[in-house]
Amino acid sequence: MQKFRLACVTVIVVFLTAGTAVAKDEKERPWAFRPLLKSDVPSVKNTSWPKKRIDYFILAELEKADVKPSPKADERILARRLNFDLIGLPPTEIENFSADAEIEKLLGNPQYGERWARHWLDLTRYTDTTASWLNSTAGAWRYRDWVIDALNVDMPYPDFVKRQLATDLMSETGPEDSVALGFLGLSPMYWKELQLPPEIIKTTVADEWEERVDALGRTFLGLTLACARCHDHKSDPITAADYYALAGVFASVKITDRPMMSEDLWLPVKSARQKVAVIDKKVAALKKKKPKPENLDEQLAVFTAEIAAMKKATPHYDMPMANGVVEAALFVKAKEKGHGTNLEFQEGKGRDLELQKRGDPNDVGDVVPRRFLSVFPSENGEPRRFEKGSGRLELAEALIEDSEPLFARVIVNRVWKQHFGRGLVDTPSDFGKMGDKPTHPELLDDLAARFMQNGWSLKWLHREILGSATWQQTSVAPGSEAADSDNRLYSRMNRLRLDIESWRDSVLAVAGSLDSKIGGEPMDLNSDKNNRRTLYGKINRRDLNKILQIHDFPDPTAHSPKRAETISPLQSLFAINGPLVQSQSEAFAKQIKGDVDVISRAYELLFQREPSAMEREVGGEFLKEATLADYARVLLASNEFLYVD
Amino acid sequence: MNRFLRDELDIDDLLFMDLPPITRRSALASIGGGLGSLGMISALGQNGGILTKPHFAPRAKRVIHLFMNGGPFGPDFFDPKPSLTKYAGQRPEGADLRTERPTGGLMEVSYKYANHGQSGLSISELLPMTAKHADDLCILRSCYTDNPNHGPALLLMNNGTMTPRVPSMGAWTSYGLGNENADLPGYVVLCPGKPVRFSILWNSAFLPAKHAGLYVNHSNLDPNSMIPWLKDPAGKPGEQRKRLDLMQLLNREHAKVRGGTDPRLEGRIEAMETAYRMQFSAHDAFDVNQENAATREAYGEGHFANGCLLARRMAERGVRFTQVYYGNGQPWDTHSGHDKKTRALAKDIDRPIAALLEDLKQRGMLEDTLVVWGGEFGRTPVSENADGRDHNPHGFCMWMAGGGVKGGYAYGASDEFGFKAVDKPMHVHDLHATILHLLGVDHERLTYEHAGRDYRLTDVHGVVAKDILA
Repeated sequence: MQKFRLACVTVIVVFLTAGTAVAKDEKERPWAFRPLLKSDVPSVKNTSWPKKRIDYFILAELEKADVKPSPKADERILARRLNFDLIGLPPTEIENFSADAEIEKLLGNPQYGERWARHWLDLTRYTDTTASWLNSTAGAWRYRDWVIDALNVDMPYPDFVKRQLATDLMSETGPEDSVALGFLGLSPMYWKELQLPPEIIKTTVADEWEERVDALGRTFLGLTLACARCHDHKSDPITAADYYALAGVFASVKITDRPMMSEDLWLPVKSARQKVAVIDKKVAALKKKKPKPENLDEQLAVFTAEIAAMKKATPHYDMPMANGVVEAALFVKAKEKGHGTNLEFQEGKGRDLELQKRGDPNDVGDVVPRRFLSVFPSENGEPRRFEKGSGRLELAEALIEDSEPLFARVIVNRVWKQHFGRGLVDTPSDFGKMGDKPTHPELLDDLAARFMQNGWSLKWLHREILGSATWQQTSVAPGSEAADSDNRLYSRMNRLRLDIESWRDSVLAVAGSLDSKIGGEPMDLNSDKNNRRTLYGKINRRDLNKILQIHDFPDPTAHSPKRAETISPLQSLFAINGPLVQSQSEAFAKQIKGDVDVISRAYELLFQREPSAMEREVGGEFLKEATLADYARVLLASNEFLYVD
Repeated sequence: MNRFLRDELDIDDLLFMDLPPITRRSALASIGGGLGSLGMISALGQNGGILTKPHFAPRAKRVIHLFMNGGPFGPDFFDPKPSLTKYAGQRPEGADLRTERPTGGLMEVSYKYANHGQSGLSISELLPMTAKHADDLCILRSCYTDNPNHGPALLLMNNGTMTPRVPSMGAWTSYGLGNENADLPGYVVLCPGKPVRFSILWNSAFLPAKHAGLYVNHSNLDPNSMIPWLKDPAGKPGEQRKRLDLMQLLNREHAKVRGGTDPRLEGRIEAMETAYRMQFSAHDAFDVNQENAATREAYGEGHFANGCLLARRMAERGVRFTQVYYGNGQPWDTHSGHDKKTRALAKDIDRPIAALLEDLKQRGMLEDTLVVWGGEFGRTPVSENADGRDHNPHGFCMWMAGGGVKGGYAYGASDEFGFKAVDKPMHVHDLHATILHLLGVDHERLTYEHAGRDYRLTDVHGVVAKDILA
């Protein structure tokens, strides 16, 4: 991981002030495209309830609707909620609990990065393996680990984004940071049969560009930019020219492995690897040769020695490679001889695209110079032009500076949604007209502005939300359900279901089996030796692991804004018959065997509470005829272990 | 789709998936006034589908799709082309379409054709048993697709686009119409191995995950190997029920203490019971050993025969959409040795197809079960590698049977050589529109809002082939 942190970007918050003179055209823009609205803290009647600024905004709306907030959750519930939320694991002890101290402790725990990295990877369509015809993706996991580290060191969000788009073009970062480019380098690639004519291949290539624009727009801006590939966006102020101005950036990069060391170390390695590849080919040919040469073993030994010598003589021969991109403009051309297509990459160059009429790459109009969206002009009043290489760095800077309010709102809303189970805008990747409107627009803007002022620190944002009275309400509040049935007013906390990662990790953790090593190569989730966190389970985009698939894990071929929450019998079969619960029940039983009061001990480990009289009685009855492992199977698959109050 | 409706649907998916109707009702009642709006109730549908009722009277209730992955050559079976003999070895005008790989002159089809049934449909000698069902078949001679590569063509045939980001036809069907059996998934995919592109072909993409196809590798016929975690490997009878009884007691208490108002808690209690029953019902559904000797004999042996028999068992139990892939990889991809391979493939599918059609008919199910046969594209009438045939997206054959299509009927036509669809060309989008139509669904009205726009199986295309409706 990088040894330094970038200085916080200078924050210039442009505020619109409610009630004062506002430029007319600003007011007419759809809400998401306006500057952040500055509001005073709303006045509330119940002044003893709010703990954080957030709470005033929430309480004001509650009071308007004449709904009371729910009581604060007890310490045990808060401890569980905080642990699952921030690190995805159950608490181990709740003696001397203080919510603020617990939040600090958990934010300092590297398991925080593991937990929250997965939320980011849902957006970036992370996969450990891509199609077999592509370059090696053996280094994909380094991108995953980069995200974990970046979150743990609380990298300011603009840097976090800029590096994922353009770290190779930044003077502040070196080649070891090129793993950050996994956001682009692990993009889905579609098969291009080069025996086909360029008209067909152009369509496939254009589909890839669309995928990139879609991921970019939805991840960073909450905008469905890809809609503008065929026509001006039907509901948002995005034109087809805007689309091609951005797509040109992706037409100017090539997905490839990148060395993680400096050029002078890399060049000899590159040359040595090419030589070894030539020898490898000779070895393969030799092995295939028929009849088998008599001195085959001797010949092979010579080659083997040659390779070994080459590796030994080349420092850093096994230099790690990152899945990234390089600057290269792609032109799809007909082969000069015979039929078929050439993909011509002009290294180091960028290119502008022609506007494709109705999205048809074989019916093009005028060239659209690469630039940012026209709805977000830069300081000079024109959309920022992208003129250096592919324009990735300028694109990142435009996202951060020219569309700053939206850029901030989108990430603040994502974090909010993760904590509450519902977004202030509940379509977290669509802030356009087709998406949901914010339930608390002033709160969203206020929080976004303060997030920026506080150095775009995600950990600051977590503290602000988790420390609020709003978040710390109980989820068991039947009284509030009548008045605020879908909890749009936040009159109670939502009960949250553990996702597959947290559930599996928690099963391993309470059984004492969890391997808490951070980072490294992925491992097959089906392996009975895999006791690592689920985050490290191998993800194959083209053949998603079945455990993940049935548990609402998102399809890694596209940006996924939110996880579905389904309840299915296949999940239940996995819980009652699958190897995970079965093996971990054995481990759990071993752990508590010999305890004078196994029932109490089990409830302590799983739920951090004493069993009720009823639970003690039925558990005792059950254990008369069944083993402790059987009992553990029941508790691990129970609802209480899956739902967090 | 109406935004209001979509929101309602999300809640539906969250709360009630895969629960029998009675539970949904009781769960609804337990929500109280909050969510129990009229829109909500209508969004539940009858069988967990989004459509409360079909757009038109359905002619088919379910689909069995026999997928000849790799791509068969229509004129080998269902589309006689005497000109191939006449011009064998030549490349006359009209036969000069561009092919993916280098190809030579036209290559003869040496199989004899005869007219079959009252309809007199022409079917070649390679499928003698299937030919006996000529009067049930609606042969589509003018299908075409957009891309001559397996991957994109498989995606187009299954998912309606060539990029792997949208739901498959089976998922759309399950989403729209739900399932007739609460104990089984609405979409089952049988393959003795893996077709190229694998699970993307039956994914649910942005639709709720329950609509993804349940992939079953039936090369091992033990139901416990076909369905994951169907059986408790170490369990003794009775023990599991005791564990479940305790769990459900604790789960109910857990829900009660929390006010009894969270339908998800109730939903998971029900899902546990469904899972418990599935151990028997799914085991039963996938157990071909329960078929009598005469039936096993009728279908014959081999993976495809077993696939067809399993498909009938699925259809019988109300699975909405069942696909049977012929085999691992792309067995119909005959770039060389076309004749020899085709004879073997034909022999392998003839008996099972005839048995499936007969079996469905005898059980009174053919009339509301749509059987679809075909590949992702066809093959060229011109030769490749001297004795093979290359991929051909320009024109190919499929057929349908049962489920409201005209029997003993040939629709559309290919050119003189079987190279290109010329009369009533039927794009894959048209095929999809027609299949949905037979299921009572207007392909333009089964939509899902995602990433800022309404998606549907047929994108912005698709025309129903009204001529083939019975």
